[in-house]
Amino acid sequence: MVGKIIEISELNVKVLLTDDARIELGDLLYTIYEGVKRRFEVASISEKEALLIPLESVIGLKRGLDLYVDNEGLSIEYSKNILGKMFNSYGDLIDGNVINSIKKKNIYDKNLSFKEININGDIMWTGIKVIDFFAPIQKGFKIGLLGGAGVGKTVLIKELINNIYKKFKSNSVFVGVGERSREGKELYDELKEANLLDKISMVFGQMGDNAISRSKAIYSGLTLSEYLRDELGQDVLLFIDNIYRFVQAKSEISSELKRVPIENGYPTTLISDISEVEERINSTDNGSITSFQAVYIPADDLFDEAVQTISSHLDGQIVLDRSQAEKGLYPAINIFKSTSSLVDIDIIGKNHFDLITEVLKHLTRYNELEEIIAVLGIDELSNEDKLIFYRSRKLRNYFTQPMFVAEAYTNIKGKFVDINDILNDISDILNGKYDDVSEELFLYIGSIKDSNISG
Amino acid sequence: MESYIDGILNEKIKKIKEEKNVYNFGTVVKINDYIVEVTGLDNVTFYERINIENKAYGYVSLILKDSVIISILKIDSKIFIGDRAFLTGEEIKTYISKEAIGRVVDIFGNDLLSDKKFDSLTKLKMESKQIPIIDRTQVNRPLYTGIVGIDLIYPIGKGQRQLIIGDKKTGKTQLTLDTIVNQKDKDVICIYTAIGKTKKDIKKIYNELLKRGAMNYTIIIAATNDEKTPVLSLCPYAALSVANMYMKSGFDVLVVLDDLTRHAKAYRELSLLSNKTPGRDAYPSDIFYAHSRLLEKGCQHKNGGSITILPIVETKADDITDYISTNVISITDGQIVMSSKNFQKGEKPAINYQLSVSRLGGNVQTDKIKALGAKVRRELLSYLEVREVYEMANMDDMSESLRKRMSDGKKLLSKLIQYKYSPISEDDIIKLFEEKEDIESNNDINNKEDDSNEN
Repeated sequence: MVGKIIEISELNVKVLLTDDARIELGDLLYTIYEGVKRRFEVASISEKEALLIPLESVIGLKRGLDLYVDNEGLSIEYSKNILGKMFNSYGDLIDGNVINSIKKKNIYDKNLSFKEININGDIMWTGIKVIDFFAPIQKGFKIGLLGGAGVGKTVLIKELINNIYKKFKSNSVFVGVGERSREGKELYDELKEANLLDKISMVFGQMGDNAISRSKAIYSGLTLSEYLRDELGQDVLLFIDNIYRFVQAKSEISSELKRVPIENGYPTTLISDISEVEERINSTDNGSITSFQAVYIPADDLFDEAVQTISSHLDGQIVLDRSQAEKGLYPAINIFKSTSSLVDIDIIGKNHFDLITEVLKHLTRYNELEEIIAVLGIDELSNEDKLIFYRSRKLRNYFTQPMFVAEAYTNIKGKFVDINDILNDISDILNGKYDDVSEELFLYIGSIKDSNISG
Repeated sequence: MESYIDGILNEKIKKIKEEKNVYNFGTVVKINDYIVEVTGLDNVTFYERINIENKAYGYVSLILKDSVIISILKIDSKIFIGDRAFLTGEEIKTYISKEAIGRVVDIFGNDLLSDKKFDSLTKLKMESKQIPIIDRTQVNRPLYTGIVGIDLIYPIGKGQRQLIIGDKKTGKTQLTLDTIVNQKDKDVICIYTAIGKTKKDIKKIYNELLKRGAMNYTIIIAATNDEKTPVLSLCPYAALSVANMYMKSGFDVLVVLDDLTRHAKAYRELSLLSNKTPGRDAYPSDIFYAHSRLLEKGCQHKNGGSITILPIVETKADDITDYISTNVISITDGQIVMSSKNFQKGEKPAINYQLSVSRLGGNVQTDKIKALGAKVRRELLSYLEVREVYEMANMDDMSESLRKRMSDGKKLLSKLIQYKYSPISEDDIIKLFEEKEDIESNNDINNKEDDSNEN
């Protein structure tokens, strides 16, 4: 025994320590009361007292209960057995499976050293026009999918799983943090039905779970990814939906521990909390981790402190925009804010690079013209502006795409588009090849050669 | 004389001893509105029900070293410093009667229509346990609202959480009442939850539902405006606990939460009075979790039962990007946005089709309506977007095809206008739109050539 409970609130428990108690931050303690084991993690220690955060509900707990140390700490299975399984944040299986020969590893591993990190990788095409064109992805990248509530982050993550994981069947880890249980289960069922469960491992700390669970899912997911990278030498795909919820959970815990918050109630440790997690997502000479991280934007505030801090770790970001969604243009990507560090003339080549510049130029002018039209009407535009206006609307429509995972909403089959087709099509639209074609024909198609449009 | 005093003393000591055997009691030392601090109560457990004399009761919301904080739920007469508080050895619970269907009840088992307690009551957890991910199955059965704009374009399925959001007086509550009335003879139990509404409003709603025979399968669970804030804060959890009981025995349940903005404010008040740290907009850090764990109780259970939730959120000046709104949008499976502009124009139900979303879409529609729905939605959104751009343009100068698009769109929009309590069945929806399709396919042939002239 290391101590007794003296105070209880919803997300923290204070303990009076015994004289010979030897405990450290992050240790796992437990108590057994009325036959139920409840676990706690040590959050702070003073001379005689320690603050613990409870992993389970505190309803029914009372003062005076004895606490013991759980020597294993928070840990998760670290073997081939993780594939095809579903875990909760604390490393317990929640899909009804049982692993017989248990081989576990603590979920707080050390970061990679400067020397170990490898930053080279090949380009990884997603088949999604607007991503491959504006924000191409490299193996080993951290890609953020940023968006406010209900603009299509989860659909995009699922499309990426469909286009990359299903196509290449590389080992993957899906971490559900603070998102809908329904979606988690649907993804699990879909993969199971398509016989694709054997190469993926899943961790869920969803929005119905308490803040502790939501804050730990990411660590468990990282441990699984590290197993695949380090022990199996794999190029791992790590899908995190949604990394913002990790920060949100940390805020809740910090607030319960009565720590002084910074703006919007975020914890003072915001930056270090995020760095601690993001620095673990890296590639080595042995294997790589490419991560796709959905980032929720609270109150549609892109400059939110947490969102900005997360985005400083990203190699590429895709920003989803409510005004696009409002117009029914999906994926609702804001092309002005979406980019990646691959957009470099030396990497993607002059043609692709120039096309991006030209498209952005067109669409910037288009936005200005929209304002003019709102006052004066289209007829007042010069002929040159009229061309820009109509071609831009075609480009804008061309960047929509039917998604495989959204067939239920759109009733249109999904399309995977090759980058060379994308570049050709865009170049053709800009050069006026389709000036005589009606703009709505460009909505929800794959490549132009694969559509009803004839040049 | 002495023996007389001794007699009284002995009597008192005996009483105290008795109480000590039966109860463990404490003394009120601080009163802050409905938050009361009590010393003593050594054996108290978290979330236990505590009685204060015979005049009030509440639950333990915080256990400190030397005292306990009680949130008061019911007060019959004033509490004073020095009043005695008694343990009950029991977690705070909600009470529901089998006779509650057809009645207006509170969360303590009282029938508000007759102002009496029900005879036989079932005790339920104030908050039911989360449904594990593995016990959930796909949401794919439709729940018809009888409203064309919803059933056809943004459908709701059994087990879905669909938010209704909009300004005051845009018909949010009406939409849910329409939905409840439309469940007649469909074997769905409805629970209308009134959070902080006036007695007058609740009576009106009761009368509306009674008049239309909807009270035969509906319970109204109310926490009226003048209840203590902790009651308002607990009310939706209690309602979902009742829903959970029915779902577990295989029923389909529809829960309306009217409304979560009021609930968020009650929760904020309670948190701040309990000395929690304020975050964004002064809401406590766990306000997201307060709503996410509540709405995660909605699900399609593998046993066949389901809980569908229609939460209501009130906005100001049609802005759905404020903190609470985006929180709830990011939890629910879609949102029906109500627009005050449409309401004023007489386009009722005043749904803003551009901002509304259903994340489940065609998954919850039958095949015959799914194809039609996807088509109508695409046409409607495309019309609304085009209308915005070309509204200023001169109708007479428009190309034939554009002019037709504008007039077709107008016709389409007019088919979505509907009076209250006049549901349209799935078959009638199909009939309503079939006519249009015939005309359109004829015109398509005639207008083929015009398309190319548009630009």
